Amino acid sequence: MDYIDPHIHMVSRTTDDYETLARMGCVAMSEPAFWAGFDRGSVESFRDYFRQLTEFEPKRAAQFGIRHFTWLCINAKEAENVSLSREVIAMIPMFLSAKNVLGIGEIGLNKNTKNESTIFLEHLELAVQYDQQILIHTPHLEDKFQGTRMILDMLMGDSRINRSRVLVDHVEEHTIEAVLENGFWAGMTLYPVTKCTPQRAADMIEKYGPERLMANSAGDWGPSKPTAIPDLIMELKRRGHSRELIRRVVYDNPRQFFSQSKNFDLAALPG
Amino acid sequence: MSIDPNAVKRTAEKVLAEEFLSARSKILDLAATLDRLERASGSVENAAQMQLLSQGLKILCDDEFDKARRVQLLMSRQYDPDWQKTYGLH
Ligand SMILES: [Zn+2]
Repeated sequence: MDYIDPHIHMVSRTTDDYETLARMGCVAMSEPAFWAGFDRGSVESFRDYFRQLTEFEPKRAAQFGIRHFTWLCINAKEAENVSLSREVIAMIPMFLSAKNVLGIGEIGLNKNTKNESTIFLEHLELAVQYDQQILIHTPHLEDKFQGTRMILDMLMGDSRINRSRVLVDHVEEHTIEAVLENGFWAGMTLYPVTKCTPQRAADMIEKYGPERLMANSAGDWGPSKPTAIPDLIMELKRRGHSRELIRRVVYDNPRQFFSQSKNFDLAALPG
Repeated sequence: MSIDPNAVKRTAEKVLAEEFLSARSKILDLAATLDRLERASGSVENAAQMQLLSQGLKILCDDEFDKARRVQLLMSRQYDPDWQKTYGLH
């Protein structure tokens, strides 16, 4: 079955992974800017990273017939450094016209600090100013519930934010409801140990239905599984769910969400 | 065909039959983890993480449902609706 992975960090994966994903049905992906596993030294490192995301990765993906899209920001972890964050935010507009950029992301919180919140709000300002879609990272483990509520407070406190153009990622059982009932899109991340299994994701689809709900692998440099979406497809099939329901979650929904971005060419991914 | 996930409702018997072995194996993993803690030197009886695990196990055994969400909330830091004031962001 054709599918789209709306959140995967291909800069950390090999070309062999691209090939495996293509064989498993991945036709498109979106790669939010994130933490490299170590703090970068200066704004110039981000400039190179954004060039990698907008120039190099789309070419690497294209070799396997995969469309590569991206989102730009300074991640929540490095946002603790406010002055560096402001330099990065000031540089982002020059990359927004790159053909594969869908918006600002993955912005969010990590340890739910004041500095992270300040930079989150400045990213929102950037997104509003340039009419960009937003992709959001919610924190891990014990910080997730608190951080997700804080993020929703900031989003809903700004009447200029169009909720149907915002994807809140890494939702789990205790955060999904608030995200969906307030009109945002929600992404479930299938990630070993710290996030959600394909079985629990299938449970949430059964409980909340497929409206505004997506799944992603968030494959990156840590222990993660870039082929996690095919695992979810298998689990839903095993439970007897229809092809239409599965396709809605893993293909139609990301396509519909992306299509609200000016750089997304709907015809490139057949409906 | 329908995109309604409730169009296909597995019976409780079917879910149990399909999931019994995996649930059994997870209970054994937990049991062996507790045994391992018991065999190790020192004591963690009063450690905060140990308290969380034992409260989590109680949620599994009580009469209420929505267990996954309740375990998640148990393992979560509290949310303060006035956080923006505390941070001076308002
Ligand atoms: Zn990510």
